[in-house]
Amino acid sequence: MIYLDNAATSFPKPPSVVNASANAMRFFGANPGRGGHKLSAKAGETVFECREKLSEMFSCDVERVIFTLNCTHSLNTAIKGILKKGDHVIISALEHNSVLRPLETLQRRGMITYDVAAVNPNDDEETAKNFERLIRKNTRMILCTYASNVFGTVLPVKKLSSLCKRYGLLFALDCAQSAGIFPVDMKKDGVDIVCAPGHKGLFGPMGTGVLLFSERVTVESLIQGGTGSLSLQKSQPEIYPDSLESGTVNLPGIAGLSAGLDFIKSVGGEKAIHERETYIMNILKEDLGAIKNITVFEKMHGKIFAPTLSFFVNGVHSEQTADELDEKNIAVRAGYHCSYLAHNFLKTTRSGTVRVSPGYFTTKEEVKFFAFCLNKIAMSRKI
Amino acid sequence: MSYIYIKFSNQTQGEKARSVLKKRGIGSRLRRNPNPNHREGCNFALFVSGDIFKAFEIISENHIQTMGIERFGDGR
Repeated sequence: MIYLDNAATSFPKPPSVVNASANAMRFFGANPGRGGHKLSAKAGETVFECREKLSEMFSCDVERVIFTLNCTHSLNTAIKGILKKGDHVIISALEHNSVLRPLETLQRRGMITYDVAAVNPNDDEETAKNFERLIRKNTRMILCTYASNVFGTVLPVKKLSSLCKRYGLLFALDCAQSAGIFPVDMKKDGVDIVCAPGHKGLFGPMGTGVLLFSERVTVESLIQGGTGSLSLQKSQPEIYPDSLESGTVNLPGIAGLSAGLDFIKSVGGEKAIHERETYIMNILKEDLGAIKNITVFEKMHGKIFAPTLSFFVNGVHSEQTADELDEKNIAVRAGYHCSYLAHNFLKTTRSGTVRVSPGYFTTKEEVKFFAFCLNKIAMSRKI
Repeated sequence: MSYIYIKFSNQTQGEKARSVLKKRGIGSRLRRNPNPNHREGCNFALFVSGDIFKAFEIISENHIQTMGIERFGDGR
């Protein structure tokens, strides 16, 4: 099987990740921080090591690194734990439903309002101005994706950060498609909140996510319960990370994530991964450019882009094309990729798009074979 | 048996302190507090190999929140 669906989750995982998760379950699968015994202490140390690595990677205080279930969980915690009644938020036109839906829910409850800024992938100034035009007196936060999960478009993060600084707004990034590919230094880059999955570019197992936030931010807990600390207090501890991590954390997942972070370092960091994936994506784009009867959303890639590209075979629903590719043992994702906004923005709601997302382990031969197969499919549909 | 340790309200602060001390060449072990008080419930104790007061100073310099130094036991 040729796996070109890394935007959904990275696969395969490095063997070190699989081993780390398995070893955690096999050798020290105790509840981290709950027991006084050596196994619990070892489990606790493993969780802390991963927290410390994330803290260094994103330049964030270690206690403000919160483990979650996935990026959606991180985004919900950030949105519902930070925003107050009357706040206004600006998001981009390329957001995932995990940004849109929590905001829409709060808006329908009369809690907050939000606006959507258009994105021009080839003009960062214009994109930043589109955001600036929407700023109101009660705007509290700009929240946007670093890179679109549908089109691979990278937003002008530095310009938006400067905008937030100028207007005293919080700047939150959905790094679902960028973590592990594009570095974020929260302190230097002026980013207040980072939400990321553990299982995509960070190479961890599914069921892992992270929320990181700066000292400027206070996050209220969405769920309360056991934290293994201050247990005779009726109220939730206020100290981070405990206040936001009720219940047992995912030790095997976090052990795997920790190994995933080591893997990124071992291959030369985010820059090396980005270079490798851009190389593969450029080969893919060149080959798709030669195929007739398909529409490729290459223009959504500015100078830099995430390794994700959308296309469709003209006149054919994207799901049918993905099925035909699956028959040739090629895994891609079709449909709407959980993004109401992106498909409305690009007017692709009729057929959806086929999303092809190579990863670090994708080879040149694999994308060439994919293009060969797609050409055959597209030609067979030509009237 | 007597114990002396630095007390933390949560594991992360304790691990953070352990990490800072390790970088300064001071060994320590983080455990559940063997003598939690009845008002707070569970918390964590960092047992230091060497001068605990020096370790406490380093931890404070690094702005890591502690609940102070605690000792208990019969002193034998």
